[in-house]
Amino acid sequence: MFEKLEIFQMAGAMARHAASRQALVAQNIANADTPGYKARSMATFAETYQDNAGRMELRATRAGHLMGSSSFSLTPHIIAGAGSESPNGNNVSLEGEMMKATEISGHHKRALAIYQSSLGILRTSLGRR
Amino acid sequence: MSELMKIRALATSGMEAQAARLRHVSENIANTDTPGYRRKTASFEDVVVDGRRTGEVQIGRVELDRTELTQIFDPGHPLADENGHYDGSNVDLVIEIADAREAQRSYEANLKMFDQARQMSSSLLELLRR
Repeated sequence: MFEKLEIFQMAGAMARHAASRQALVAQNIANADTPGYKARSMATFAETYQDNAGRMELRATRAGHLMGSSSFSLTPHIIAGAGSESPNGNNVSLEGEMMKATEISGHHKRALAIYQSSLGILRTSLGRR
Repeated sequence: MSELMKIRALATSGMEAQAARLRHVSENIANTDTPGYRRKTASFEDVVVDGRRTGEVQIGRVELDRTELTQIFDPGHPLADENGHYDGSNVDLVIEIADAREAQRSYEANLKMFDQARQMSSSLLELLRR
């Protein structure tokens, strides 16, 4: 656990992922009344994470995305036919987006809780309280 | 952290656009009984900076509703023609109220997102405080 501090990397990546996913939700909500706007979404963190033969590893869309560099990005894709389309061609569902926002903020909280408690373990092992 | 700042910028642009829309609605409602008034409509559009869409929203150009003005029969009115009719406004109060409701709902959703982003960044800063 403490050789490469993977758990910190993972918690950090999860928090970053939550933030960029939340930004997409915010964009959808801001454009909830823009004619012709199509809602966008991003894969969940669980879908991008893979337990690779017991090794903790994050599946990256491109090599060098996660390891080495701290950037964690996923290209958003446009949802096809999610939610009913209103007469002006907009298919954002405010309720659905609010649901997603709450879920994502829960993920963000969880990631920070993991980070904080790992930090506590690390501090304790160093003999400080 | 920059993503969280982006969320706030997006939510703010949404709130600004909805507030401008609500202003047009209230102008329309205030002028329901103004003779010859045409209701103002404005549609939302994407913000484009250097040819790229930022994802933010802004209110577009104000246009006037081109539907027929209502003819009001009142022979005693100073603007009445020889048949006793004058041009009223083409504001439909039901449409305006429905529009105002929708704007309010979207405004609240944007405000919620702003608050969400604020909570996320403050819990992030909480990590430093230990």
